[in-house]
Amino acid sequence: MSLIILENAGKYYISGEVKFPALKRINLSIDVGKFISFVGPSGSGKTTLLNLIGCLDKPTEGKVFVAGVETNHMDRKTSAKFRGANIGFIFQNFNLIPVLTVYENVEYPLIMVQNVPLEKRQQKILALLDKVGMTDQKNKYPSQLSGGQKQRVAIARALVTEPKLVLADEPTANLDHDTAYKVIGLMHNMKKEFNTTFIFATHDQKIVGEAEVIYTMEDGLITKAQENKIAKERI
Amino acid sequence: MKNIIRIAWRNLLRYTRRTLLTSSLIIIGVALVIIFSGIGNSFKNEVIGLLTNSNLGDIQIHKKGYVGSLDNMPLDITIPEKGLEKIESLLNNNPEVKAFSKRIRFGAMISNFVQTTNMRLTAINPVEEIETCPGLIKRIKKGNSNPETFVKPGSIVIPLNIADGMNLKVGNEVVLVATNKEGSVNGMTFKISGISENIMGPQGRDGYIHIDDAKSLLRIENGEISEIAVKLNNFNKLNRTYKSLKNELSLILGVKTGKPVFEIHTWEELSPFSSIAQIVTLLIMVVRIVLISIVLISVLNVMMMSVYERIGEIGTIASIGTLPSKILALFLTEGIILGFFSAIIGNIVGIVILLIISATRLNFKFGIMELSIAPQIPTAEVVLTLIIVVIISALASLQPALKASRMEPVEALRHV
Repeated sequence: MSLIILENAGKYYISGEVKFPALKRINLSIDVGKFISFVGPSGSGKTTLLNLIGCLDKPTEGKVFVAGVETNHMDRKTSAKFRGANIGFIFQNFNLIPVLTVYENVEYPLIMVQNVPLEKRQQKILALLDKVGMTDQKNKYPSQLSGGQKQRVAIARALVTEPKLVLADEPTANLDHDTAYKVIGLMHNMKKEFNTTFIFATHDQKIVGEAEVIYTMEDGLITKAQENKIAKERI
Repeated sequence: MKNIIRIAWRNLLRYTRRTLLTSSLIIIGVALVIIFSGIGNSFKNEVIGLLTNSNLGDIQIHKKGYVGSLDNMPLDITIPEKGLEKIESLLNNNPEVKAFSKRIRFGAMISNFVQTTNMRLTAINPVEEIETCPGLIKRIKKGNSNPETFVKPGSIVIPLNIADGMNLKVGNEVVLVATNKEGSVNGMTFKISGISENIMGPQGRDGYIHIDDAKSLLRIENGEISEIAVKLNNFNKLNRTYKSLKNELSLILGVKTGKPVFEIHTWEELSPFSSIAQIVTLLIMVVRIVLISIVLISVLNVMMMSVYERIGEIGTIASIGTLPSKILALFLTEGIILGFFSAIIGNIVGIVILLIISATRLNFKFGIMELSIAPQIPTAEVVLTLIIVVIISALASLQPALKASRMEPVEALRHV
């Protein structure tokens, strides 16, 4: 069953009279529970594609369906609600809220987006922090954590709302090699545990091999789609 | 809401120096308003109290046209006996009226048998007058200051400048010569029972005699008088009582004209100090406007900086799914908290300074009046300032908060 469908989805930026295509008529279907990576050089359209799938941006042409809903015509409020209910985000720079502790950062989507009652959210947060190995750091602020620890908190925050889809844009770009593998491993585990679809964009060749399906992008087009059997078996 | 407040509070503490600087500005502004308002209002109330309690009363009633000719103290524009009865009954039935004093006012020549000068006289019943103007007795600096007998038939209280100018002392005899409304001149001898401060200012030449003496001197055989001074139970209800008395008085119509025959004025219409009181009120207003400007500019500045510095963070929370209304609330709350706590601290600072001034008392001279100001805490001003600061903080935060809530997450995230 397809979680994401893109039908001729394109994105153009206009500067004066010049039209820059960032994404050219992409047709794509991604099933539930997949671990997908988009690879390609900078400017190939990976982030733009992730933004369209994550309802952060709208296509200039074509259609985008996420979890059976066409997202093209959503207004700001509706798309915020939709993201809060269905999509988790992991960012290259971790993007934790600096004034909140590890625990509070993970708690944030539950109180500010989903209004989950105290007892239920406590259980969820502590369980997730345990899974990402951050229980003993739960009262620390982001400034007191290493890059790898921050990304683990970001993963917990992305998963705490039990989204159908997690989007990660260059999640390992600011991490050293070992930490990057650990973070990807953690994402694997989380995918297994929650059957969440993970999509990440990267140009880190070592990380790319961890995905079940690897889409290669160039100049706004998907030039290659490749199943990674080794990773598939491992996952 | 609790979570929004918690996050907003932490965001304020995140830029401690900036928050403290902005907060200090608001605190100083609020404290200045409270101090200025406390001293200004106390000064105003002190002087108003001095004027109304020692001479004017809170309200005065005259025959129509009297106040227009007040400087001449006309004896032909008087309240006749029948009219007086109606007014007395009206005042006796009004629960807001504490006391009233019937007066005859006229000009006369005073002579010590060697020198002669002019003066203004208010003829009173001492008991009525002291109930209406209890502060009068404190203005009598020499002689009999017994509230019930400070003016007895045959005695006169003269102002200090006449006493000094004519070298008169308590116990001396003087002659008053006055012209009555028919034009005939009469004179009477009086003994000086007291010497008062110049009640109506440095040029004040106001003295007091007993109302019965005035009737003899002016050959008034019926019960007509010049004015009625009224003291209210609650000065704060001045305008309301004035309106109700005015309405009631307007129903007393002249037999020939069929129009209202009496006029009523508050102390404000009778004393030039009312314009000074208005200036004090205006100055307090100006200080308040300065405060509003300080709050508006400083909160707007700090909130705009806050939004610009946190564009990436706004993108993050928006992409996570935070509704625009919650982002708006987050930034609005930040501004409101900043204003609210600064106003609370500013109020406390202002109150403490006022208490210190009040404990030491502020003594100064205003014209001939020696004032000792013990500023009271302006409770209404404290609450009003708090409300104003919170509202202005909210308004100042609105534009940056709207900007934050309307940001496209994808644009905002590019700032990371």
